[in-house]
Amino acid sequence: MLIKFIKLFLLISTLVFYSMASKADEKIKIAIIEPMSGPLASVGLDLIEGLEFFAERINNAGGVLGGKHIEIVPYDNAMVAEKTIQQLRKVIDEDIRYVTQGVGSNHALNIIKTLGKHNKRNPGKEIMFLNHSAVTTSFTNELCNFYHFRFDANVDMKVAALVSQMTLDPSIKKVYLLNQNYAYGQSFQAAARRLLAERAPQIEIVGDELIVPFGKILDFNPYVSKITSSGADTILTGNWGPDAARLIKATTNSQLKVKFYTIYAGIPAAMNSMGAKVSTFNPIVQVTESHENDSTHPDWLKEIDAEYMEFANKSPYADRQRFMMEMFAAAVEQAGTADPTQVAWELEGMTGRGAHGDVFMRAEDHQMHFDMVLSHISTNVEKTFIYNNEDYGMAYETDGWVDVSDITLPTTCKMKRPKR
Amino acid sequence: MDVILFTLFNGLLYGMLLFMLSSGLTLIFGMMGVLNFAHASFFMLGAYFAYQISKYIGFIPALFIAPLIIAFCGAMVEKYALRRVHKFGHVAELLFTFGLFYIIEELVQMIWGKVPVGYHVPEYLDFTLFSMSGMGYQAYAMFTLVISVAMFVVLFSVLTKTRAGLIIQAALTHPEIVSSLGHNVPRVFMLVFGLGCALAGLAGVLAGNTLGTEPSMALSLGPIVFVVIVVGGLGSLKGALVASILIGVVQTTAISLDYSINNFIEFIGLSVDVESLWRIIIDLTISQVAPILPYLLLVLMLIFRPRGLYGNRDV
Repeated sequence: MLIKFIKLFLLISTLVFYSMASKADEKIKIAIIEPMSGPLASVGLDLIEGLEFFAERINNAGGVLGGKHIEIVPYDNAMVAEKTIQQLRKVIDEDIRYVTQGVGSNHALNIIKTLGKHNKRNPGKEIMFLNHSAVTTSFTNELCNFYHFRFDANVDMKVAALVSQMTLDPSIKKVYLLNQNYAYGQSFQAAARRLLAERAPQIEIVGDELIVPFGKILDFNPYVSKITSSGADTILTGNWGPDAARLIKATTNSQLKVKFYTIYAGIPAAMNSMGAKVSTFNPIVQVTESHENDSTHPDWLKEIDAEYMEFANKSPYADRQRFMMEMFAAAVEQAGTADPTQVAWELEGMTGRGAHGDVFMRAEDHQMHFDMVLSHISTNVEKTFIYNNEDYGMAYETDGWVDVSDITLPTTCKMKRPKR
Repeated sequence: MDVILFTLFNGLLYGMLLFMLSSGLTLIFGMMGVLNFAHASFFMLGAYFAYQISKYIGFIPALFIAPLIIAFCGAMVEKYALRRVHKFGHVAELLFTFGLFYIIEELVQMIWGKVPVGYHVPEYLDFTLFSMSGMGYQAYAMFTLVISVAMFVVLFSVLTKTRAGLIIQAALTHPEIVSSLGHNVPRVFMLVFGLGCALAGLAGVLAGNTLGTEPSMALSLGPIVFVVIVVGGLGSLKGALVASILIGVVQTTAISLDYSINNFIEFIGLSVDVESLWRIIIDLTISQVAPILPYLLLVLMLIFRPRGLYGNRDV
């Protein structure tokens, strides 16, 4: 009797479980693998929050494919490259067909390599990698893959934008390169050396440094004294996280007057640890796809920004996450299915709405192209930077726009495509 | 000449920060034989408490109150937890402090969140004190240096010149005799542990605003502190001071040296043509390997002089 009951109970519970599972399957899941613990947790958590916000907007507007919702499933890699692979295995086991990631090119590289093998061995079960921020150039050059789409500009494009802005300032004569010693930093270094020689031969490189990445260096004073004795007037750096904040703090503390040309010095998690005084002592220039205080910021985007502020209690940062999610939803809608291969065909060559004209996914190498804005941190702005309800009294102020044609670079990508 | 002065001064600044952190740890180890893995966590707590206190009543009160609170926390940890674990030997103690490290990290994340908090150098110390050939030195850096030197002087004289110091030192080697002389040995241990934690807390108050106050700061400083106490000699305050400054100076000097093995080979008139991995190794400059030099020093020290610079027993 008891055994019968147990059998019945097991049967019912499995049935209930499966019916629930099949309901959950109606959602289109996107796994996001980012650091949610460890030294760079703040960077990862901000980006996850952004993605969740844009997914929710799509869901509130009725979802895709007649009411299916998009669900963001976060996985923590603690900024350890092996953990990214472990979490990716989990994603594969749970049959999630879309992965997104952005913090740390070494992690993105692991995803690209692992998925490359997986997609080759499991036809019909391919997984697409929506890369929202990992910018190492080789991902859309020699490592390019049909199932990888990068929605951020790559390092070469960003450095090209920085260098073309630098050429407009005749006071820049000596530049010091300082980068993190891993895939992304090396990619930045190579791009900077090449593009400075091509586009700004009048600027001399007086220093070229690679440092141990991710907060391992506590004391940047020795680097600052090295920069001082090199006589540099500008620091061109790809540093981000504590490596950027500490470098800028140390420069301010020793009253060294230099210009910073950066990609990521202005990410939210760095702005709040530097504060207004440190971030406005020297001009800190960064390159982004848009920012709130730009005079050309379109009204529809201002509305989305306001919505985001209400959702997250912080100023919006990565607009690329918006067009990534919008374009993904549109591609699923056009494909009429959530199958990654079909969606990939739709994403190729697709255009979306950007802050400054259209954004365009180049079909050749799956690299996003858009106008980029150069801005510096200033206290003289309309909308100040807000982070977790705290007002920091500063934000970005536009220096100029770089047209997409100036940063469109040739690719060496020879992509293998599946049969249509 | 200026460059050498810069380097030495920067090295001294960094070294004194390391000293403040490691003095408490080496003291606790010397007195009680407890290797406290959670030591850097008290450093982190110091920074967070100082952030919270200075938000309401200012930085100078925080400088005194935060270490006091940490001392109290440390004493309570010793009295109610570590003392019980002590019976089960060193492995249990190690495991306990290891667990404590994670508990404190999680607590900090629960209270203050995972993102760095905006703990900044107070306005009135945020000016350039003096400058040497273009490099300015912030008043706050000098302030930190003065406090850490004062701390060393006070600590050293208390331990060697006062009655309390004598009892502490005696309790370390001969606890039974000190106890039979009428001194409360467990209380001495509790106070020493509290004091050690307070020193780490003080370091946190002073360094939290320049390094950035975030939940992972304990993890990033933990290993280097162990290097300092092993190189200096476990339990030796003087050793901790010398090792801290040594590591500070070595690391900062190394950063300004852009020489690699390849430069040397070329200098003596040879050229090598090697591929891939070896290429990377011979092209590495001294400045690039600077962050691992302290650990190299640790390994060399363990091989050639396991008791450290001023230690009196092997590790």
